[in-house]
Amino acid sequence: MSEILLANVTELWNTAWPAGLIMLGLAAVFAIVLLIASIKLKVEVDPKVEQVHKALPGIDCGACGYAGCASYAKAVVENPELIGKCAPGGAKVAAQIGAILNLQISESGPPKRPIVHCRAHKDDKTCYADYQGIETCTAANALANVQACKFGCLGFGDCVAACKFDALHIIDGLATVDYQKCTGCGACAKACPRDLIKMVPFTNENMLVVACSSKEAGKDTRKMCAVGCIACGLCAKQTELFTVSNNLAGMDYEKYQPDDKTEIAYNKCPTCVIVYRGKNAPAPRQPKKKAEEKV
Amino acid sequence: MDYVQTLIMAFISVVLVNNLVLTKFLGICPYLGVSGRLDMAFGMGMAVTFVVTLAGTLTWLIDHLILMNPALEAYGLDVTRYVCFILVIAGAVQLVEMYLRKFFPTLYESFGIFLPLITTNCAILGLCLFLNLWDIHNFAQAVVLSFGAGIGFTIAICIMAGIRENLNMADVPKCLRGAPITLITAGLLTLAFMGFAGMIK
Repeated sequence: MSEILLANVTELWNTAWPAGLIMLGLAAVFAIVLLIASIKLKVEVDPKVEQVHKALPGIDCGACGYAGCASYAKAVVENPELIGKCAPGGAKVAAQIGAILNLQISESGPPKRPIVHCRAHKDDKTCYADYQGIETCTAANALANVQACKFGCLGFGDCVAACKFDALHIIDGLATVDYQKCTGCGACAKACPRDLIKMVPFTNENMLVVACSSKEAGKDTRKMCAVGCIACGLCAKQTELFTVSNNLAGMDYEKYQPDDKTEIAYNKCPTCVIVYRGKNAPAPRQPKKKAEEKV
Repeated sequence: MDYVQTLIMAFISVVLVNNLVLTKFLGICPYLGVSGRLDMAFGMGMAVTFVVTLAGTLTWLIDHLILMNPALEAYGLDVTRYVCFILVIAGAVQLVEMYLRKFFPTLYESFGIFLPLITTNCAILGLCLFLNLWDIHNFAQAVVLSFGAGIGFTIAICIMAGIRENLNMADVPKCLRGAPITLITAGLLTLAFMGFAGMIK
């Protein structure tokens, strides 16, 4: 038994060694060439760039304005002024980068989160015709009269497609931010063709928001949308936080702190445009239906 | 003059008639995977052209000087052809990558992941093996064929990318969106290129 095995192995060896030798020879030649090349063609990489790259979230979202985390890391090492640009990483990553680059980081403001300045769900909107075109907001926005309101959310989800964190969804015809998942990268704000989504500093866990962008006159807005701002000015009478211009209530988000006056403004708004947005935001008030008003 | 004519014919033949992608169905993965945008497709095509020229030339030399050397014929070295060729291709890609990184960093960055991926591009190994299969015994012809194969690949992937960029605007039926319409496009392109068959005898 062992003799046969030995004979087989010997035969294999006798036929295979030249091939093996050639392979080894070629491999050795290439190994030497590559070794010489790797020494001759060595590229010095700043170790700081690598460290910064490791500290970054590594999701290549592009919120910083660079193609990805690697190119941002390179840029930030060359120019430390760019340090706070990483929105998903926030203050924590900025501090880490600061430690790597031996810099003192000043405290940045509250984290910015997107707010959709529209609150009209499917039933609240008025539509003249059924849109059958390409199902993106950008395409629909190019067409007049996709829906009555020229300012409101189209609900085709360009922002959803832009979000890399699954933090935006179209719920019943309205883009809705999931603030648990949102990192504040701002991709949705760039994607929205109607500029509805704005990055707002969240001074509180839940923000009071004027969720409408309609600049139509109050009468027209009321015809088009059940929950549009009619610029009645009731909120502005309560507190200076609110201002009304261009037929639309506005709000100074940076100064917002919840108090009685804002709560009254929230409760008084006749079309319920002022709503809470945030991680634990209460369900928005619903306006009285027209049918109920008649009764 | 005849010699130059043969080379030109060989070049046209490998670019159009025997296009590796569209008639031999090699290198389909980058052909479908990287043909989303024209500039990226062109970059990939250029990288492949570069590597295939280098690898084709090197493997032809190794094939003829070592593996098919009459003095070594008794050892049956040609069984190692596949492994040797892959070794050469992988080594060449590594070398190219280092070289680009050192001297053309912008080009290196724009290639990104495609450069190392070329190692596994079957069009390149295919071309190296075809040089043997077609019995190319002329060094210049081997170089021209290798270069032509790369140009053929670039043409194929660029045509595909151009079509796909325009397909984005088209109203494709929902069930055909994405991969299906891409494959149908590839099939039609292949049919079109079949028209070149018999152009060169």
